[in-house]
Amino acid sequence: MFRTCDITGFKVDLRSEKLIRYNAVFAVISLLMAVVAALLLVFTRYQPIHLLGAEWYYRLVTFHGLNALIFWIIFFEIAGLYFGSTVILNTRFCSPKTGWWAFALMVAGLVMSNVIILMGKADVMLTSYTPLKAHPLYYLGIILFAVGALIGVILFFGNLMIARREKTYGETMPLVAYGLMTAAIIAVITLASGALIYIPTFLWSLGLIENVDPAMYKLIWWGLGHSSQQINVAAMVSIWYMTSFLTVGGTSINEKVSRSAFVLYILFICLASAHHLLTDPGVSSAWKVWNTSYAMYLAVLASMIHAFAVPSSFEVAQRKWGFNKGLFQWLAKAPWGNPAFSAVILAIIGFGFIGGTTGVIFGMEQTNIIVHNTIAIPGHFKGTVVIGTTLTFMGITYYLIPLIFRRKIVGFKLAQWQPWLFFIGIAMLSIGMIVLGQLGVPRRHWDNTFSGGPFTHNFNPAVDFFWVITMLGGVLAFLATLIWILIVVFSVFWGPKVNGPQDMQLTISPLPPEGKPHKGFEAPGTLVLTFLFLLVFLALFFLNWKWLAATWNVN
Amino acid sequence: MSLLSPKEGWYDTKVSKDEKMWMVIALILCIAMFVWMILWHVYGKQNPSSITYRTTTTEFARLSEAYIKRNMVGMDNGVPVVRPEPNSDVFLLAEMWRFSPAMILIKDQSYNFHIASKDLVHGFSLQPVNMNFQIYPGYDYVLKFTPTETGEFKIVCNEFCGIGHHTMIGKIIVIEKEEELAQFGYDKFLKTPAPIIEVSEDKPLSEEQMITLGEQLYNLKGCVGCHSTDGSVLLAPSWKGLYGKSEDIKENGKKSTVVVDDAYISESIREPQKKITIGFENTMMPPTQMTDMEIQQITAFIKSIK
Repeated sequence: MFRTCDITGFKVDLRSEKLIRYNAVFAVISLLMAVVAALLLVFTRYQPIHLLGAEWYYRLVTFHGLNALIFWIIFFEIAGLYFGSTVILNTRFCSPKTGWWAFALMVAGLVMSNVIILMGKADVMLTSYTPLKAHPLYYLGIILFAVGALIGVILFFGNLMIARREKTYGETMPLVAYGLMTAAIIAVITLASGALIYIPTFLWSLGLIENVDPAMYKLIWWGLGHSSQQINVAAMVSIWYMTSFLTVGGTSINEKVSRSAFVLYILFICLASAHHLLTDPGVSSAWKVWNTSYAMYLAVLASMIHAFAVPSSFEVAQRKWGFNKGLFQWLAKAPWGNPAFSAVILAIIGFGFIGGTTGVIFGMEQTNIIVHNTIAIPGHFKGTVVIGTTLTFMGITYYLIPLIFRRKIVGFKLAQWQPWLFFIGIAMLSIGMIVLGQLGVPRRHWDNTFSGGPFTHNFNPAVDFFWVITMLGGVLAFLATLIWILIVVFSVFWGPKVNGPQDMQLTISPLPPEGKPHKGFEAPGTLVLTFLFLLVFLALFFLNWKWLAATWNVN
Repeated sequence: MSLLSPKEGWYDTKVSKDEKMWMVIALILCIAMFVWMILWHVYGKQNPSSITYRTTTTEFARLSEAYIKRNMVGMDNGVPVVRPEPNSDVFLLAEMWRFSPAMILIKDQSYNFHIASKDLVHGFSLQPVNMNFQIYPGYDYVLKFTPTETGEFKIVCNEFCGIGHHTMIGKIIVIEKEEELAQFGYDKFLKTPAPIIEVSEDKPLSEEQMITLGEQLYNLKGCVGCHSTDGSVLLAPSWKGLYGKSEDIKENGKKSTVVVDDAYISESIREPQKKITIGFENTMMPPTQMTDMEIQQITAFIKSIK
């Protein structure tokens, strides 16, 4: 039932390993479908090409959203949860048979919803705001997928219980498993919200319920929608700590701080979903301000805490290794040739500087007025869930290929460049979209010239330049993703087998020597970087509030 | 360590000076942003409002139509144009796929916009100012706007609402002086709305009044979107010379010919899918809510277009 890994020493339940592999494979299949659609979409919104007609454009926006945000991420996270519980805690999988049922449900859901979308019966966008109505099988597919995922999460908790009872990991759960556990707890809340909204909507699509109030729908849907992003953040940050450990032997400089930050995520994110309703009628300003500040900011605070704790884990380890000169030698002499390392550092930078800053500012009640439903919104979330979560998942896969699939990475030289290509591509795409949105360009919109309408509108001529940036960024990101997928597929199916530590192309770092206790600042380089982040944030903050003040008066 | 159980005593490890400093700064930032939003409500001039009324799609559509009838001063490309009084209520209707009415506003004056949808969720995106709000069916969102600049502005829909989403665009003109109307081509409009033709039981309307009301309905109900009056073919048969014409139609798959008379027009409005004119099988005419009186007025209008 077990093999003892000859590289890391962890005990691996072979039944769990098989489940991890299959879920990971379907994650990659979902990603491939998502990015092919993304390329067609970017060539359509780039109007000099305008590749797809209106019908297929709107259809593929729904298709892309579902496969990228839901299927790719959640299949990968289920694989991650199984890894985080059985492998990291050296324990057995509580019920592999149930795991396979969960997998079957998720696959069935994926196939059902995707086929219905491609048949043209669910042109409703991922958000499917009522009264837009899709074919019942669209909703049923998502429900099946969610039930499968929920079962997977419950199995994760089952594994944790067994590990604790059989004392397979010492006194305290390792930080990475702890982080994944918070992700799993949020997942339960999220999937419950999902059931609460999708089941009535499914019944409505069948004609069994007369009406689903659109304002109520949007409120509850975002209880699912935004909380699922917090699962992604918790999982992503856990993998950041894991990568620090694997690449430089780093660990959180204060476990209490990191663990508390994870707990903050659980406590506050559901309320924070309010930031999707800031310019909606029906809810009062007091409700909006309270939920987006008290609630969201405590979740934001958690991210800011990790923003220091994660890089400092790298810095402190590197300083112990001897890279102590000046403020940044620890970073300059870090293992940049390790694609997992570069992916994670780039993800941290992208998530913080692009996604995080815009997220906080766009999520303030009043500044939301100048960005709601513009293309700045997808620009923001490509700066979080794509440049953050997706790049992180891509990075850690470079370790999972040899460790779980036991294959060498085919095209390693290319793999070393891939995170950079992806980062630059998504940064261009994201920043391009954010600027376009600030210039008023709408999201989910097929024609910038409004042909067929009674009037037309000419956007600020600067949009032409930023459309080019967006388009080129999208193409580069697509190529980088394709490269990653090809590396993964070739390695997993045809790569040379890994027979021991000598076959590892990525080093697994030993623990650094114990340093002398540091007087003063433990991670001065990280502190400088966080201050730099603060400066960028403040600049964007004042810029946006100035732009708001220049609009018409409204109250 | 991250993948292993933490060192013993991890809970009691002191937090390092720099981490503590950063956490305090982060917390202060979060509190400052909270206070900032509240202060902006007091001192700032842009705030989403807390005023919403529960309504229904039919009720709001009727309110909007009545408002347009009462305040219309002209038409722009098939969209009625109104000129609201400062500090009055303006009813903006969003529907698949247009915003009506278009408006003439005065700079630095306030207007209470009532915004709702007749069908799906839509987006109100005022460009190039770039102010964005969400529009719901069943909820009347009241926003008091005060334009701070003159010029021509558009309302773009930025919430996906079906295949015509990208054709959905409205218009607002803001002026300071009357002379500015000319640059927008609005100088030929009425200075004040035309007196309303009162419809009552005992006073029958003249033929001319019926035609005027019919033409109003032609624009208000959206017929203008598909039926032209000059003979050109848009998405549906033109109304020029339509009354009395022999039309080839398909009913239940069988071809036949009808003469366009009062009964046929009434049936086409109440059951648009019953008889379809040959050549227009693919464009669906949406069912339109109209009273018998309104159908008579539209018929009078159609009759008048020779």
